[in-house]
Amino acid sequence: MKNKIKVFRAMHDMTQEDLARAIGVTRQTILAIEKGKYVPSLDLAFRISRHFQVNIEEVFVYDETVLTVTAD
Amino acid sequence: MMVTFLRQNVIYNKQRDCMKKNSFYLICGCIALALLVIFWYSVEVHIRFLAEISFIVAIGGIYLLRKKVTDFVEDERTARITEKAALRTFQVFWVIFCAFSIGAVMQILYVPTFPREHLEIHAPELLGPRMMGYFQLALLCLMIFLYVGFRIYYARKYGEWETDEE
Repeated sequence: MKNKIKVFRAMHDMTQEDLARAIGVTRQTILAIEKGKYVPSLDLAFRISRHFQVNIEEVFVYDETVLTVTAD
Repeated sequence: MMVTFLRQNVIYNKQRDCMKKNSFYLICGCIALALLVIFWYSVEVHIRFLAEISFIVAIGGIYLLRKKVTDFVEDERTARITEKAALRTFQVFWVIFCAFSIGAVMQILYVPTFPREHLEIHAPELLGPRMMGYFQLALLCLMIFLYVGFRIYYARKYGEWETDEE
């Protein structure tokens, strides 16, 4: 799962700490999501996208190459 | 006048019910020290129930205090780390525990050894209470080490100690 949280943060001039506080998670969680170390739940993904007032697909992109590699 | 007093009283009570993280850790340290003293005393006077009951009371107290801490931020990622570490610990633990239990049950049921011509009937050798205590201590230590190990592993996997360029 790829995401554009960093881009949206930059557009809204927000730090990781600001975003984390706004959606009620830790800064480490935002950092882990941005770096692709942690895939957020659907609930958290919706909260993030709602915070930026965009659709969830604009922030999170499903990476189909992962599926291809697994299928092979 | 009365309304102001009540309002102040409510605010005071709300503040009293809240606790900071550092205060919580401080109290936990005090409880651990108190437990150590109680354990030592219970060994001295040979009352093991004192240690057992105090341990249960201490854990209950810590649980109640934990609910009052306001500045703990526990989100889904930290919950997932805890969940996965606990699950993996349990998976390893039950294999070891079952392996030992199978051996113990075979001793109790007295499964004969092979070859059969040297079969001698004798009483099963069971673990004494002291050895059983050592075994439980070893299991407890194993569980703690496994849990800490798995927790570190999953914390690293889910980016707990990642550094940022920000």
